[in-house]
Amino acid sequence: MKSNKDDRPDFSMNRRKFLSSATAAAAGAATLVGASKTEAQQGSHQVTAAAEPPGAAQLQMEYDIPEGYSADQAYDYFVSSPGSDFMVDVIKRMGIDYITTNPGSSFRGIHESIVNYGGNNAPELLTTLHEEQATAMAQGYYKVTGKPLMALVHGTVGLQHASMAVYNAWCDRAPMIILAGNHLDVTQRRTGVEWSHSAQDCIRVVRDYIKWDDQPVSLQHFAESMARAWKIAMTPPRGPVVIAVDGHLQEGERGDQNLQIPRVTPTQPPIGDEAAVAEAARMLVEAENPVIVVDLMAHDQTGIDRLVEIAETLQAPVVNQYGRMNFPNRHHLSQGAGVVARADVILCLELYDTWGTINTMRDRVHRDAQRRARPDAKVIDIGVKDLFTKSNYQNFQRYIAADLSIAGDAQATLPSLTEAVRSEMKRSRRSSNSERESRWQTEHRRVYDQTLDAARYAWDASPISTARLYAEIWQIAQHRDWSLVSDDSLKSRWGRRLWPMSKHYHYLGRSGAGGVGYGAPAAVGAALALQDTGILPINVQGDGDMMYAPGAFWAAAHHNIPLLTVTHNNLGYHQENMHLQRMAARRQRGADGSALIGNELRNPEMDLAKIAGGMGVWSEGPIHDPNELGPALVRAMDVVDQGEPAFIDCRCQPR
Amino acid sequence: MTQVKSYLIITLLGLAVLAPHAAFAQESESDVSSGKALYDSFQCWQCHGYEGQGGRAGPRIAPTDFPYIAFAQFVRHTNLMPAYSPNVLNDDQLKEIYEFVRSIPAPSALEDISKLDFE
Repeated sequence: MKSNKDDRPDFSMNRRKFLSSATAAAAGAATLVGASKTEAQQGSHQVTAAAEPPGAAQLQMEYDIPEGYSADQAYDYFVSSPGSDFMVDVIKRMGIDYITTNPGSSFRGIHESIVNYGGNNAPELLTTLHEEQATAMAQGYYKVTGKPLMALVHGTVGLQHASMAVYNAWCDRAPMIILAGNHLDVTQRRTGVEWSHSAQDCIRVVRDYIKWDDQPVSLQHFAESMARAWKIAMTPPRGPVVIAVDGHLQEGERGDQNLQIPRVTPTQPPIGDEAAVAEAARMLVEAENPVIVVDLMAHDQTGIDRLVEIAETLQAPVVNQYGRMNFPNRHHLSQGAGVVARADVILCLELYDTWGTINTMRDRVHRDAQRRARPDAKVIDIGVKDLFTKSNYQNFQRYIAADLSIAGDAQATLPSLTEAVRSEMKRSRRSSNSERESRWQTEHRRVYDQTLDAARYAWDASPISTARLYAEIWQIAQHRDWSLVSDDSLKSRWGRRLWPMSKHYHYLGRSGAGGVGYGAPAAVGAALALQDTGILPINVQGDGDMMYAPGAFWAAAHHNIPLLTVTHNNLGYHQENMHLQRMAARRQRGADGSALIGNELRNPEMDLAKIAGGMGVWSEGPIHDPNELGPALVRAMDVVDQGEPAFIDCRCQPR
Repeated sequence: MTQVKSYLIITLLGLAVLAPHAAFAQESESDVSSGKALYDSFQCWQCHGYEGQGGRAGPRIAPTDFPYIAFAQFVRHTNLMPAYSPNVLNDDQLKEIYEFVRSIPAPSALEDISKLDFE
């Protein structure tokens, strides 16, 4: 973090940290401060190079009975080595950089340890205004870094607040580790609210859409469960995990001095069966029109590179469904969804909805399904969705009988599939690649020309067209490295249609479950991950989505997280506007205006710039005239370049 | 049945290219003005935009060379959008909307918009 630190207390050499650091450097002092021999021998991550071993007076000050207190009084009042200090040691060992939180008494012990024992550094505590924001920030952060963020919440009221964002993360296969404060022992709860903030099984509220959870009853149990949590969260299919942290375990004395912190050993992702991969290769090579469809695949740039490699080897078009930035959109093999209808073999990679890719269902009273793909098209489905799923929430989509279904992480499986394709390809098949390449280049060019042509319609309109919105932002983005941290699905996809995208951080996909309120906090989380990289985070923010979690912008201001936000403000829950219009037309009534009821965000129109400004964010707007947007963006960038968030409210066309 | 309808639409679109707009050659300013009011109140803009430019939710409909018969076919019977029956949108209203859509001018040429130079 940046300048705000100047206003904070200097934690760099507080009493506890000084002692802890010095102890790690001096193994002989380990028993005095409670660090295990193992920790001392391994060399603690907390070691500060300049730290000196504590003097006798300092040790006495920390651990002896303070002056003026009897032994009984000291026993009643003070804790010399709280359990939550060890919890912080565990978190540090896991390499967690940040913990997002909204403060709560059920985790006050570990809160204090993070700040005073851990020095509020790696992990640094980030204040948010709502647990949903804290959790959604973790989702955005992961999609840039590939690392899990940690969120610290009340086990009861906090986890309930967080639950929507947890569900988004679950559907989006975004890992995160949530610590949930709870008080298990009924005889040790304070009267009143501590009971309301305790549960027999606080994680139950989200258990349907997390990968794993535990409620440790000892510090060693905590350490092992945290290591397990990290592994489970990060092993494909990735997803959120929750660990309940008992209040008394946090606040009580550590006791056992021989606690071990297990090493976290990442689990290698599952790779598709060798024989099945060979069969897939044979099908792809023999196909006249193989098509690759991809969604939640690329964990990082390697995933993109691998997909380019196999696509070029086959000269097969790639349809990116943009759950992740899987494939460069200016590559000649980047094609629209229409090519699926012509395919004879369809290779599906980590699709959220394979059935919906192969089939379509019209939105009518009688929901008849039709196959979009050719009747004889073969479907190869590679992904991890069959490896872990749950029953209650139905995000697993409709069942499809693929011709070849391979359980394995697609990114991890691609190298062996590409190798198998190469060995399967005969010279005659290879020689056809130049014709295929030429064909797809022509098709790509044709579609791109159509895209550019479509962008000019309503160019001068007010409200501002969504194409103009993205084109204006591009004027400032094109000269630097950038990341579009918001989903453009509800903005006619102009970001991915116009901007050339090739890096994994150029586009971060969608919310996962379509849970509104993801946009702003996820953007702030992504911006957090991008700060100090020189990469400009760009958030095109829906108005309805923003008002679920406007406090996210305060978090950006408070923690000095640079982020450029421009609203796509269409004054309503527009998707629902259209749904209501469809219902009215279907029922032959009320089609002349009733769709606004319950969906419009007018009367009064919200002043989003003022709201963002009230959060401490530089802001401007509302802007109605498209010609005023460019200059406003230049002013906003002056702010962002100084390491601060900036916000422009833009009145836009609906889509 | 769906195929039959598709052929019908294709045929109508074919006619659209060839047919003159005789019946609507003399649209008045008042037709356009009331058509815009209807376009707004019936919320055609929800999917097609305030300028008829279209987007992911619905195709571009302006400027258009479609004859009224093809336009009406889309509104009444298409597979692509909710069917607006005469019970909620009568023929006179539909014609006025059509006049408004036809009146929307073409945008500037692509080469005249420098901010769309993404090459």
